Amino acid sequence: MPAEIKTEPNEKLLLSIINNYPGEKRYILSIMQDMQKQFNYLPRQGLEMIALHVASPFSQVYSMATFYKAFSLVPKGRINFKVCDGTACHIKGSNVIIDQIYQHLGIKPGETTPDGEFSLETVNCIGACALAPAVLANDRVYPKVTSAGIVEIIKSYGGHADASSK
Amino acid sequence: MRIIIDEKPVEVEPGITILEAARQNDIDIPTLCYHEAFGGQGMCRMCMVEVKNGATSRLVASCTYPISEEIEVSTSTPAIARIRRNIIGLLYRRAPNSEFMQLLREQYKCPEVRLDVNQEENCILCRLCVKACEEMGSSAIAAVFRGTDKRIGTPYDDAATACIGCGACAQICPTGAIAMTESEDRRTIWNKDFALVRCQRCGQPVGTPEQLEYIASKSGLALEFGLCQECRRKQAAVKVSGYHR
Repeated sequence: MPAEIKTEPNEKLLLSIINNYPGEKRYILSIMQDMQKQFNYLPRQGLEMIALHVASPFSQVYSMATFYKAFSLVPKGRINFKVCDGTACHIKGSNVIIDQIYQHLGIKPGETTPDGEFSLETVNCIGACALAPAVLANDRVYPKVTSAGIVEIIKSYGGHADASSK
Repeated sequence: MRIIIDEKPVEVEPGITILEAARQNDIDIPTLCYHEAFGGQGMCRMCMVEVKNGATSRLVASCTYPISEEIEVSTSTPAIARIRRNIIGLLYRRAPNSEFMQLLREQYKCPEVRLDVNQEENCILCRLCVKACEEMGSSAIAAVFRGTDKRIGTPYDDAATACIGCGACAQICPTGAIAMTESEDRRTIWNKDFALVRCQRCGQPVGTPEQLEYIASKSGLALEFGLCQECRRKQAAVKVSGYHR
């Protein structure tokens, strides 16, 4: 099983991440990366604390956080599906996978299920074009996913893949 | 230092930008994101010129190109005209209802928009407002998100704590894209509501209490803000004329 996420953000945890870095602007991205890794998203409190730590305007820190696709401002699910939508995967039918996930979990790219179990996003290329279409569940790669295959994957993570929202 | 702009030799201080040199010599280079107060941002690319240095020639943004060599500059070649027309065409498509962009579209003879467009959008993302806010010292707004979603906003689109309601952003905006509404005693901008101080003499808006307090603390002066700029000037003029009697 892939590493599961994660801890709820709190001031003490946030501080322990932030204090690994000197209070200089050039460390903003590094701190954000650590935060994203720890919580799977960037909590607002964390961004405010970064701004304070590096003495930058909050608006600028927020601007950076929204610029990079690697960061999320809303909590991701326990299992985060990344469906590759690069050229090869797109041609091999990544849209079918996205559609299947929507049929079974009711989430579109960028969304999270209400119970916080699953979230879905599309990525542009994971460098596994020979295995197209590919899906990442957290850090685990599933190659050559079929429309039936994705249902099995959802089930293997405890999703009620049969309780479809048709 | 001597450089050549549009075949005209001009004498310039080394280190100033091509744009500054051109404007000092009454040569027009169009700009969108440039303001004398801030210098070049290199954002809009309207000020592209061709720089010839010896045998090599390239296109550069004149607002951020400091002159350090004896170069030859052309401010309007067919290639540059094409770039400018493209920029205006694209920005017009983004903000087709803005009067500012409509005028530019006519000037640059860009085609009309036939596709569905966002009728609400007026912003051309020149970032003059962001710069103005930064220079004011608040930095309450910034460009957020990326690509086609990019826009100017406050963090989480909330009423920004950093905003002092000075309205510098709305004032500098070339397209009037920033909504600022004023009623009898309130000013609303960026989803934030401020009290509005009006001039005791003429009733013109002077600013918000937060803004006046900020200016007072920044300037270190205990200023009297009962009057607007115009009325303060008149008052000062009366005072000064008294000295000459």
